[in-house]
Amino acid sequence: MKIGIHGLTSCYGCQLSMAIVKRILDITDKFDIKYFYMLSSASKIEHVDVAFVEGSVSTDNDEEELRKIRENADILVAIGSCAIHGGVQGMLSNDKISYDDAFRAVYGDRKIEYNGRIARPLDKFVKVDYHLPGCPPEEDEIMYYLATFAIGSWPEERDYPVCAECIRAGNPCILIEKGEPCLGPVTVAGCDARCIKYGIPCIGCRGPVPKGAAWFDSLARVFREKGIDKEQVKERMAIFASQYEKLDEMIDKVYEG
Amino acid sequence: MKITREIQIDHLARIEGKAGIEVEIGEEGANAKLNVTEGPRFFEIITKGKNYDEAAAIFPRICSFCCTPHKLTPIEAIEYALDVKPSEQTKKLRELLYIGSIIESHALHLYLLVVPDYLGYPDAFAVARKEKDLVKDGVFLKDVGAEIQTVLGSRSIHPENAIVGGFGKLPSKEKMERIARMAREGLQKAMSIVKFFAEYEYPSYVNSERRHLSIKPYGGYGVYGNEIVSSDGNSFGIEEYRKNLYEDVASYSFAKRGKFLGEPYMVGAISRVFNNSRLITGKARELMDNYRKFIAPQNCFANNFAQALELVYFLERVKEIISELKDMKDEGLAEPGRMSGEGYAVTEAPRGLLIYYLNIENGIIKNADVITPTGMFLPMMEVDVAAMAEGLWEDGHRDKDFIGGKVEMVARSYDPCISCSVHVTRL
Repeated sequence: MKIGIHGLTSCYGCQLSMAIVKRILDITDKFDIKYFYMLSSASKIEHVDVAFVEGSVSTDNDEEELRKIRENADILVAIGSCAIHGGVQGMLSNDKISYDDAFRAVYGDRKIEYNGRIARPLDKFVKVDYHLPGCPPEEDEIMYYLATFAIGSWPEERDYPVCAECIRAGNPCILIEKGEPCLGPVTVAGCDARCIKYGIPCIGCRGPVPKGAAWFDSLARVFREKGIDKEQVKERMAIFASQYEKLDEMIDKVYEG
Repeated sequence: MKITREIQIDHLARIEGKAGIEVEIGEEGANAKLNVTEGPRFFEIITKGKNYDEAAAIFPRICSFCCTPHKLTPIEAIEYALDVKPSEQTKKLRELLYIGSIIESHALHLYLLVVPDYLGYPDAFAVARKEKDLVKDGVFLKDVGAEIQTVLGSRSIHPENAIVGGFGKLPSKEKMERIARMAREGLQKAMSIVKFFAEYEYPSYVNSERRHLSIKPYGGYGVYGNEIVSSDGNSFGIEEYRKNLYEDVASYSFAKRGKFLGEPYMVGAISRVFNNSRLITGKARELMDNYRKFIAPQNCFANNFAQALELVYFLERVKEIISELKDMKDEGLAEPGRMSGEGYAVTEAPRGLLIYYLNIENGIIKNADVITPTGMFLPMMEVDVAAMAEGLWEDGHRDKDFIGGKVEMVARSYDPCISCSVHVTRL
């Protein structure tokens, strides 16, 4: 099976995660890696079965490259919060400051030859077949996606929140007991509630639960009961998912019921 | 008639981020440009208006290779601003966590990104087919660094357990002992990679005088301090960084570029080792004394050797810190003494000085400024890239691929981190 691993504008953490998957050596003989520029100078965009793409589209070059990757891939997987929701750099649009103003604030009147833009997720430009969430994705998930593709199957995306894993892990609830703005109820599971295990409230790095499947009617309402206001939850969710189209809808659902 | 030859590498492989190199060789010598084409991400703007805890979780997303420095340095700046006084135990744990990131970053860079150049392969996969043990050593050392960050930080990429005031949860004794064992096991491997790099002479084309900037570490050789020193004897406190470290914009790069006293300068492992060599102890000291000529401040290739030497030093330091942390106790978090203030911090990230300035009002970030090592050394790297191309050209080399390959090695010796350099500075 031929695969490509690509990075647009990002921190390169998803690619790094893919590079350091411990059990990767057990299955590498199943894959022919055609493109992994972070690790190999022998990389070329050519036809592959699956292309994994990290990062947001933040320059004209990013868009051009993404289209080329799409044309050459049977399956395209968006990996990580930047590729799926625009990532932290996607917040720029949320901060009520235009790209030009941001550019001027940083570079002054100087000109730069390349065109930068407000960061956008991949599906604004091309068809995305699967999403592999995380900031960065977990090793188990990477293995699961690779393994399902390798046997000719496909991965099933999680549609339940961090709370589901957190309760199973037996952690005390930070939201209920400490009233801290833990985003567990609205964030997609897969991390095994790592931060809560460390006593740290979820910041939503994996992005919102898809398919409208957050726990609106139970835990999410605790936000309201604890006096954590709508704006605060929205601002916090927007850190990693500012460009999620259903963000407002989700928040309304939490606060309306 | 002016004859100009161009060597262009659109996308430099085996580095973190997206950049290209353009070299023009003309009658008046060579000129090099490192084109940073990775898009800007405006971290100082997106953290504005966030509370300080959230900002401390956002900054690490600047770069996955340096996520721990981009967590611990803003935490230092926040604590400076808000008068938070972390305990001695917290400071030691943070140092250990930070060292974990240096070990992982150096191991990844040296074994997976640099060694293929020295052995003439396109990547570490190809190296692994011939020299399996060498790559395995690298992966093991990378794992030591990753394990330290996982145990102390909750995971190796974007660790969340280090927070303002301390740690969410303390590591268990068993896990700390496991890290110490891994560090012990890694030491021999790290010593071999020092010897590996000592087998290669540095290309003399890139020899030139330059200043090296590093922190003056608190106590022994390390990553924390509050004063920046230059190899020519200059020094300044972190609060004075803006007056001293000038940043410029070039039309071909989204990364800002540093100057000190009007000239390009170098930061990173070689700068640390050169400026603080008297503080290096243990096995690293012995190796350094044996291979003294490789600590060559005039040559950027010395950076690879210095990174290898640091691997040895920091692996020994890991064991020391763990033995000092035998009796950890749950102290809770240190609390802020005020909710507004300005904070400065400088640390030694794997690639060199990392500076954070934060202005906080009522717990909310008002202004941020981040200067990364790659932004600092880009102009110096261009000087070296041009010198390499020119030297090869004058010696009669005409094969663009050959010159291109050598020029890439110069860039890679700096271990550039392009994501860091385009986080984009100052409001």
